[in-house]
Amino acid sequence: MNSRVLALVACVLATLAVAPAAVAAPVRSEAVPPTPVAADEAAGKKVYERNCMQCHGAEGAGDGPAAEFVYPKPRDFRLGMYKIRTTLSGQLPTDHDLFKVVSQGIPGTSMPAWERYLSEEERWQAIHYIKRFDMLGLFEEEPPKERIVVGGAPKVTDELVARGKQVYQDAKCWQCHGQLGRGDGPSASGMTDDWDNPIRPVNFTKSWIFRGGSTLEDIYRTFTTGFNGTPMPSFAITVGEEDRWALAAYVKSLARERRTGQVVRAAYRDGPLPGDAWDAAWDEAEPLDVQLAGQIILEPRWFAPAHDAARVQALYNDREIAVMVSWDDGTHDEGQSGPPDQVALQLPLGTPPGTERPYFVLGDRKRPVDYWRWNAANGLQRAVYRGHDRAESREAEGVDARGAYREGQYRVVYRRALDVDPQQGRAFAAGDYVPLAVHLWDGQQGEEGMKMAISGWHYLLLQPPTPLSAWLWPAGVALLVCVGNFALLRRMRRRESGSATEEAAS
Amino acid sequence: MVKWTFGLALAVWLAVLATLKLGIQPPIPASVLMLYMVLVTIAILVFVAADETRFGHFVAPLRAVYEGRVPRPVQVAVLVALPALAGWGTWLRVAPNFDAPFEPRVVHPEPPSTFTFNGRTVDQLTLKNPLREGADAESLARHTAAGKTTYYRNCFFCHGDALGGDGHFALALRPIPANFRDVGTISMLQESYVFWRISTGGPGLPNGATPWHSAMPVWQNYLTEEEIWQVILYIYEGSGSTPRTWDEGTGGHDH
Repeated sequence: MNSRVLALVACVLATLAVAPAAVAAPVRSEAVPPTPVAADEAAGKKVYERNCMQCHGAEGAGDGPAAEFVYPKPRDFRLGMYKIRTTLSGQLPTDHDLFKVVSQGIPGTSMPAWERYLSEEERWQAIHYIKRFDMLGLFEEEPPKERIVVGGAPKVTDELVARGKQVYQDAKCWQCHGQLGRGDGPSASGMTDDWDNPIRPVNFTKSWIFRGGSTLEDIYRTFTTGFNGTPMPSFAITVGEEDRWALAAYVKSLARERRTGQVVRAAYRDGPLPGDAWDAAWDEAEPLDVQLAGQIILEPRWFAPAHDAARVQALYNDREIAVMVSWDDGTHDEGQSGPPDQVALQLPLGTPPGTERPYFVLGDRKRPVDYWRWNAANGLQRAVYRGHDRAESREAEGVDARGAYREGQYRVVYRRALDVDPQQGRAFAAGDYVPLAVHLWDGQQGEEGMKMAISGWHYLLLQPPTPLSAWLWPAGVALLVCVGNFALLRRMRRRESGSATEEAAS
Repeated sequence: MVKWTFGLALAVWLAVLATLKLGIQPPIPASVLMLYMVLVTIAILVFVAADETRFGHFVAPLRAVYEGRVPRPVQVAVLVALPALAGWGTWLRVAPNFDAPFEPRVVHPEPPSTFTFNGRTVDQLTLKNPLREGADAESLARHTAAGKTTYYRNCFFCHGDALGGDGHFALALRPIPANFRDVGTISMLQESYVFWRISTGGPGLPNGATPWHSAMPVWQNYLTEEEIWQVILYIYEGSGSTPRTWDEGTGGHDH
């Protein structure tokens, strides 16, 4: 029994489990509005061949030149199977559904929002053209006439979210998406879609990669109609409408904000730094989601990395600094079967002059990097790299790294004294901007060695406490204006009373 | 109307600020904005002060506040708001800034006269795209199509599906990948320059261009010379731009 069958069985069981409690109310539907632009084959062909063919292929089979380098794979248009629809499970999408996807793109994939580059007319022609690839000609014969109503969203309240949490349990969403929505459920690993391509359940905390969009309506629609051709089933029949809205509200509540930027600001902490990655003290440290790309510079090149970001936080006190890297991973690979999960922090070894920095992938001959690699099998390994092919292992020498995997999330805390011998590493001082890069590996996806996700250089800043003068100036100016105010008030009053006495005298 | 002189002046001032701040893309520098706003402030003050009655109307609301001819809560609100605003404005100017340090960068550095391509020395000054020079329409189309395939197997991850510099890896890179649709990139460069940048990548940038932090790979390690020229044909064609050429017919000495 392969994993796809297992996934299907899991979904069927999940559906059966909620069936008795389900309200068998019909799904509200409405007529599909007419398509505003008629098909023009020549125009469609032109748009398709210029903009779409590179991924979706000359014959629409999803096998263009770029296809093998991206995850998820581009859509194969031949089977009429589409993920993002307002129609019921197994049905074709409406023209408006296709138009929306082409216009807005699919988050978390290489499908861009074409509304930035193509006119409305061109986008309509593109969707007319891709329908021609459907081998069974179903778009011609029986185009969808009804679509579900995605309207009348309830007000999101705590009660609704709590109810959604219950639905999440009852409908067994956690089986794939995990209890905390991190895509780490017991069935998450090794899933495939109907083309036998690997597919991973979405991480509900990353709303920016929700394929069908992340508004309440989008989530409701995805949950109602399912994703054809994937293990994500439709819950239109088994879960009542109100419960589906509640679930959408709950899923939306799991999402966190993506915080991009260049600087990891380490907050000063009076007292010892937290040794435990789950210590509440970490809430004081401002997080930065360091964005990652595939390592496509050195062989072996890696085009579809498993991770898109790593969250970095930092704290420091008078003696030492602690940097925490955390990321969600559906599987905990400790290296028993296949490579272990790994993370590495990269810093310049010394202090290059001016704004010079070592080469951003493992340094260069002149400017070495200090490399703190932690893996789930045997912890910290420290090395100095002068280019990817010149590694020199080092003793930890005061660098400490401890990591753990809990509920679908890794947290690795690196600690080091602020001051070190310049030969041994880069010293940290309040106010300094220290270049920092992150490398990340997911063992489950076969990532090891140079097959990894990499970031560009960011900065780690030990944020100095705000100087007193920064408070004194505004306070002083405010006080001055206050004094002016009262002086004016008194003068006006005196003048008024003066004129009043004058009037009385005359 | 006269009742609203002060309010109108304030509204005009705020409208100008909003227009300058939000209505102009790319945003104008803060120092220029400051200069404009000082001028606008002076202009408004001169206008209201030019006529004595108008000035009277202008200061009337202020007088009303200080002379206590407005309801007590309004008076208190104004007297509190003024120092608070001034304090807040000062805070914005003196608060420490923890953004990334500014890194000036030469976007199109002067190319070297020669560079090495897989062990062979290439003369940058005489370099021409052999696939464009004297090519017929059929071979040009064939090479452009081949360049398109190479582009989508190597480049589009960063430079984007529509050549807009917004590929799915772009967010991880700083400086951001070049946007070929932008008139400031390939359309102001000769094809020989583009060939040099692709062949030698970030590590091939000259010393004069430091600090370079470009993530551009060294493509001569992966692509043949012909493939690079083909990609160049495609990025010009695909982005609807044309390479810059020196007009060789008209030298500076002819007139």
